[in-house]
Amino acid sequence: MRKLEEKRELLYVIRTLDVLMSSGVGLEAGLHTIGKGGYGIISQDFSAMMKRLQKGNSGGLDKELKSLSKVAESAGYKRLLNTLYTNVTQNTDLVETLKKQGARMEEERSEEVEKYIEELGGVPETLLSIGMIGPIILAIVGLVPQLMSGDLGAFMSLPDPAVISGVVNMGLIGTLVGMALIGLKAHTKDPGL
Amino acid sequence: MIFGVLESFNDTPLLLYLAVFALACAGGGIPPMIERRRRRGIENELPSFLESLADSVGAGRGLQEAMKEQSEASESPLALLLRETLKEGHASSFEASLSAFAAKTRSSQVQRVMMLIETAMAQGSSLRDILSDLSRDYERLNDLMNKRESELQGRGILIILFVSVGLPVLIAFIVGLFAPASKGFQISSFNQTFGLFFAAASAVGVAVSGRMMGRFKDTLWWLPMWMAVSMGLYLGSVKLVGG
Repeated sequence: MRKLEEKRELLYVIRTLDVLMSSGVGLEAGLHTIGKGGYGIISQDFSAMMKRLQKGNSGGLDKELKSLSKVAESAGYKRLLNTLYTNVTQNTDLVETLKKQGARMEEERSEEVEKYIEELGGVPETLLSIGMIGPIILAIVGLVPQLMSGDLGAFMSLPDPAVISGVVNMGLIGTLVGMALIGLKAHTKDPGL
Repeated sequence: MIFGVLESFNDTPLLLYLAVFALACAGGGIPPMIERRRRRGIENELPSFLESLADSVGAGRGLQEAMKEQSEASESPLALLLRETLKEGHASSFEASLSAFAAKTRSSQVQRVMMLIETAMAQGSSLRDILSDLSRDYERLNDLMNKRESELQGRGILIILFVSVGLPVLIAFIVGLFAPASKGFQISSFNQTFGLFFAAASAVGVAVSGRMMGRFKDTLWWLPMWMAVSMGLYLGSVKLVGG
């Protein structure tokens, strides 16, 4: 969940930092602006970081950025925090790097959406295969004791109706679980637009 | 006739409760749909609006003047809302009007853009470049969102139709044909189990479909309706075919 939220907000954070720093705002002020809100989980991270810095009970911005990158889950967010850390320690051209990172993030996002659409292409078919074949077979299994109750039943020994009913119930629950697991792909692979 | 239909489902009260609950939920499901359509309309107009602003600012106009011109140049929802906000805000500052406009759109895209414009104005940055960059960014973002929606919408509808409508009717036809209750087959317990299964399968299908299109929360309002439709179709069709 955190990863998805990070991915959703990251590009906007990069763009905002880019605008702020191109306008001459310092890094700490930029981080403070992001921390004021509007950028979900990243705002929360930056806000907590700035509070710790203001209290004076942390080892400085560089150490805070380093520890935040351990909490970050998405590769893009880690990359941004690393860029900020490098800027603090080595005085790099942050604006230029942010511009490049923004362009890269945008490319990655487009690729991820394409991939998402492609991957979800098979979901309806798989979902319908399991969701339709399972109940059809189980419906026939469930009706067997009734259908074979006459002379036909004398030729074959059928399990107890309670057993058949149990099998059908378990099968239906299994089908539902299978459908939910296939559908879970739509959530876990979300590109976070 | 309505009471006759309701009477025939007396042995499955869950379906009746679900139907009533679904009716109530449908009332909650319509506003998010209308709101979404309105918001997406505004968001789709945003890139061309920003581009026009960038051109006007580049030609030497002030941002306030450029915005006023753009709001009067078209009759789109974005322009109308901006015109209305600028008119209302004649006694307040331009920044306050921008914030009010962003809040009225209820769009995170517009709110982010307005926040960036305000920051850029406060810092005295080159608005032309920023507006032009923002226009390109949001055009790409909206293209992606529209593409996702158009490509996955058909698949989402396919899932709902097959799982909630096609499957219950198919199984009901098989059951009604081979084990009709009118010929003494005892299938009430079987029907109850499958009725519940179709309701649950519908819930899964609708939830997956909603998540695919990125509007899971909005779809939840329609979940009870599809569950009731699925369950009702199965039980109704079994009665219709098998008696």
